[in-house]
Amino acid sequence: MTKAPDPRLPASQPAVELRGIVKTYGASQALRGADLVLHPGQIHGLVGQNGAGKSTIIRILAGIEQADPGSGLVQVFGEAVSHPSPEEMERRGIHFIHQDRLLVPTATVAEAIALGQEPKFGPFYNGRRATRQAEALIRRHFGLDIPGNRLIRDLSAAEQKIVQISRALASDARVLVLDEPTAALVRREVESLFSVLRNLRSRGLSILFISHYMDEIEEICDHVTVFHDGRHVASHPVASTSIPEIVTEMVNREVGELYPRRSHAPGAVVLKVEGLGRDGAFSDVGFELRAGEVLGISGLLGSGAKEILATLFGLAPADHGRVTLEGRPYAPGSVRAAVSRGVVLVPEDRRRQGVSVSHSIRENITLGNLGLLSRLGLVSRSSERSLAGRGIADLSIRTTGPDQKVAALSGGNQQKVVLSKWLSSGARVYLLDEPTVAVDVGAKVEIYTVLNRLASEGAAVIVLSSDLLELAGLCDRALIIHRGRIAGRFEGETLRPELMLAAASGATPHLPGPNMKGAA
Amino acid sequence: MTLAQTEITLPGPGPGRVRAWTATLSGGDVTRLVALATVALVFIGFAVTTRGFFTSWNILNVIEQSAIPGILALAMALVILTGGSDVQTGGIDLSLAANMGLSAAIFAVALRAGWGEPAALAATLGAGMLVGVVNGLAVVRLGILPLLATLAMSNIVGGLELVLTENTVIPATSPILNVLSAGSFLGLSSLTWVLILVSTLAAVILHASPPGLRLYATGGHPEAARAAGVSVGRLILGSYAVAGFTAAFAAILSVSRLSASSTGTGEMLLSILAAALLGTVFSRRGVPTVAGTLIAVLFIGFLSNGFQLKGLSSNWVSGVQGALILAVVAATALNRRKGG
Amino acid sequence: MSIALPRAGLIGERLAASALLIAFAGLFLFFALSAPAFLTAGNLKNILVNNVAILGVVAIGMTFVVKSGGIDLSTGVALDAAGFGFAFALTAAIAAPLAISLGLAAALVVGAVNVLLIARLRLNPFLATLALLFIGQSAQRLLTGGGSPIYLGNRSYADVLGAIGRSDLLGIPTPVIVLALVAALAFVILHRGRLGREISAIGAAPEAAHYSGISTTFVLARVWLIAALLSGIAGILLTATVRSYIPMSGNGYLLDAIGAAFIGTTLRRDGRPSVHGTLIGVLLLGVVRNGLLLIGWNFYWQQVGIGVLVFAVLALSYGLRREGRH
Repeated sequence: MTKAPDPRLPASQPAVELRGIVKTYGASQALRGADLVLHPGQIHGLVGQNGAGKSTIIRILAGIEQADPGSGLVQVFGEAVSHPSPEEMERRGIHFIHQDRLLVPTATVAEAIALGQEPKFGPFYNGRRATRQAEALIRRHFGLDIPGNRLIRDLSAAEQKIVQISRALASDARVLVLDEPTAALVRREVESLFSVLRNLRSRGLSILFISHYMDEIEEICDHVTVFHDGRHVASHPVASTSIPEIVTEMVNREVGELYPRRSHAPGAVVLKVEGLGRDGAFSDVGFELRAGEVLGISGLLGSGAKEILATLFGLAPADHGRVTLEGRPYAPGSVRAAVSRGVVLVPEDRRRQGVSVSHSIRENITLGNLGLLSRLGLVSRSSERSLAGRGIADLSIRTTGPDQKVAALSGGNQQKVVLSKWLSSGARVYLLDEPTVAVDVGAKVEIYTVLNRLASEGAAVIVLSSDLLELAGLCDRALIIHRGRIAGRFEGETLRPELMLAAASGATPHLPGPNMKGAA
Repeated sequence: MTLAQTEITLPGPGPGRVRAWTATLSGGDVTRLVALATVALVFIGFAVTTRGFFTSWNILNVIEQSAIPGILALAMALVILTGGSDVQTGGIDLSLAANMGLSAAIFAVALRAGWGEPAALAATLGAGMLVGVVNGLAVVRLGILPLLATLAMSNIVGGLELVLTENTVIPATSPILNVLSAGSFLGLSSLTWVLILVSTLAAVILHASPPGLRLYATGGHPEAARAAGVSVGRLILGSYAVAGFTAAFAAILSVSRLSASSTGTGEMLLSILAAALLGTVFSRRGVPTVAGTLIAVLFIGFLSNGFQLKGLSSNWVSGVQGALILAVVAATALNRRKGG
Repeated sequence: MSIALPRAGLIGERLAASALLIAFAGLFLFFALSAPAFLTAGNLKNILVNNVAILGVVAIGMTFVVKSGGIDLSTGVALDAAGFGFAFALTAAIAAPLAISLGLAAALVVGAVNVLLIARLRLNPFLATLALLFIGQSAQRLLTGGGSPIYLGNRSYADVLGAIGRSDLLGIPTPVIVLALVAALAFVILHRGRLGREISAIGAAPEAAHYSGISTTFVLARVWLIAALLSGIAGILLTATVRSYIPMSGNGYLLDAIGAAFIGTTLRRDGRPSVHGTLIGVLLLGVVRNGLLLIGWNFYWQQVGIGVLVFAVLALSYGLRREGRH
């Protein structure tokens, strides 16, 4: 059973105190004297670029890895932990909520929560009690009624996150470590997760919140610690800082401009979409896209925005309307047809749909250019090699060479591999689906630069993104889709996040406050 | 300002393995109902049209005949549910049938050599379990794909059986074999009782005990199970060991039934595998279960029995089994496409 | 940024990749030293004809399938279909070239069913071909009245069968020439050709391949037709060599073909299937089978020996690779 943690703990005593932690892997130092201090009743943000040491310090906190012998101090509720291990840390109340929803898809909610500490009836598993306990636990902490016998795989992403947190609460968690908890959650779900976290904070739990999303840090966290290059570079109350300041600290230099400027000189109309519709997904979508233009598209989950991209890429045929590509009718019946007309997609699920992680950079780049590189069904190895070399140089992919496996690259560099796959293929229209998801700030800027270059070289670019700040910074124009229709067109002065958000939620324009929602 | 993280992807142990089955009445439920209806219809069809099918003697006979394949299929189900149900990379034991053959040979040879019954039993069960342990170590410690490790093992075990028997039938008798082959209680034969007891034991362990929960968790998402403190490796190793032990146990039943060791038991492998895989459609979660496996085994048993009674050539039986597998696989795949 | 691998890991990986070659060389040497008859031209030819050629052709077909991410349990069915079609046509006094074509066509029918089930309907290859294996058994029993062979002992077939099964070209037996041609062509397609890249991509990352504009259906269709065709060629070779069609004899090649293809994957550090790896796997199995016979092991012990060997190669390769990862 869960005991509410004692809220009367002195606020001065930290829940967790890591000081001067050093961690060495082989020749490289992942952490070089890092500090992290969490207090009870606090939601603490942890931010940093990939490779800054965030994940290493979390793994040390969770007991999965140990700091270098003799370095630093690990204290939990004032007690030094001499031999940290996952079991030891859990015993002391530290629970790690993994980014992937680490739950058995074929288990029920009750089983998922009970697993490892099953209620028993004699030697038997007491399923009924497990179900009762699970339902009570979720109701008490989250105010939700999730039946204990539902299968995990039938739950929404947010519900799964809730089950994950419930597991921790069922075993008396006092510190929750949430690694990118909002990835794959829709906005509404993010809000209910946040209200849950606030509720837990008010019960005195200490919550470490790791996120790439600065707006989430600003919205939910009391305090933020910034990591750069293996150590903390700043730690201050969220109220006394700002997003630009945090970002500057993260990259540890002045970010001149997150969104590089670009001269806007559109050419001829490349893509003309008229009255496009697909039954049950979207209808009456029309726009023109010129060479050299970057068009943004956004909408809530299920708005149909994603489906528009899918239709343009030949994944699902349109039922109505007409598309003209460079003056000729365009109605791709397959991805192959789309690609052969020079329409390419950079998909959101990069590791599954964008690249083959077990293949080399060279082989991945070749995959988009097989026609170009083959004669009589044979692939020319020399042209393949030079193409890969060009791609790596062109997009400054950070790698040991063209034969390195894509799996070994960072998210941003993987994304560059996807882009370079298409650069030589003569693509005319680039469709990008959430191009900067799980990409750190530094690499984001690089990807924006590539997109700008593509446009300036005459390509037509469509970017679908949920990050409205990104759309406003990157695009010339933006379409907001609501319930399958274009709910607003934004350009120049009107290309502003708050206006687009209003259109996306189908509301009359108003500015949403940061703390507008209560308990779910 | 983040508007929405789009597209919910369900976590799965591997790409494409688990897709959304939509809410409420999922594709899995439909498949399950259709599968059960098919079984019922085929049974009723035979009962109505075939003389001698729907008699207690015939039904008991089919159940008795299903005892050995049933117990082996349960062992296969255990390995699949613990190792994960992706047939190509998940748990599978292709040495199960060959192991039974070898164990039967060991038992018969030991008795022929004048060993006492307890010693012969111990040697048989020990050998069967040893085969399972080696399989398990190969999979868990060395990380060999179960498909490959147990394939190689089935060659070894099949060869050892041949070495031991020189491809002949070795007759065997002993008191316990007589009890097993001729005994009956409450009108049910010993073999039937053994099937009932083994199934009950399996059901209690798998579906009503903490270890069962952990076994399913291991198969469903090993990382999640590990994160919950489950000793994944030990359970997988255990599943192969128990499967090996079960094969030896089935071997003793088989020797009792035939009063001899028999050659060519390896041929049972595919229908055991088919039963274990077919069985998954009878479960809400699409995983192997005791009930589902038993239904599948009995279904296959009644099907061939019905054919026999109808005077149809037994040449049809494996074809119908194949068509059944195909139907189930196709239905599941189409369902998944609609649901996902 | 990549992290430098510890040296021991690299050595382990290299060793893992060469475990197969070391095992092969070691066993070859062992048999050459312990069985005087082993290292003779006649025996080596015998190995190639009887232990390597037919299995090699089947295993190369399996390599295509495994590389595309599948597995083919119906390879024996296609092999038998070709054997049956060929033998049946010959007994019906159909001319040899046409009889061969009929045999191959019969194998391609099996392939076409796989194309429908796996490439078109996207069923799991293991399960789809398992079903086909069952159906193939029934079909053969029904076609042959319960499983009786078709004997081609009649003198009138001797020329044709001799030409395929026994004759030499410059001292090289026909089946070996066929294997060499098949292997060369397969190597070019799989390791130098566009199709090979597409197959490899589909095997490793089907969605990424689709999103790169590759037609998964067409590529998989070619894979399964190639596999069936190769099984068919093997079926004709087998029928010609043993001068009869024996129902369900193709299944005897199934496990060895899968074994050879997967043993072959240990040859490469990335663990991908390859034509050359598969061939070495086939040679290994052939040499061991023959060598064990020559040093006086009977058929039963040979089976044990082969099993232990395959197990050992797998253990060595996977074990060392695993060491390398840690």
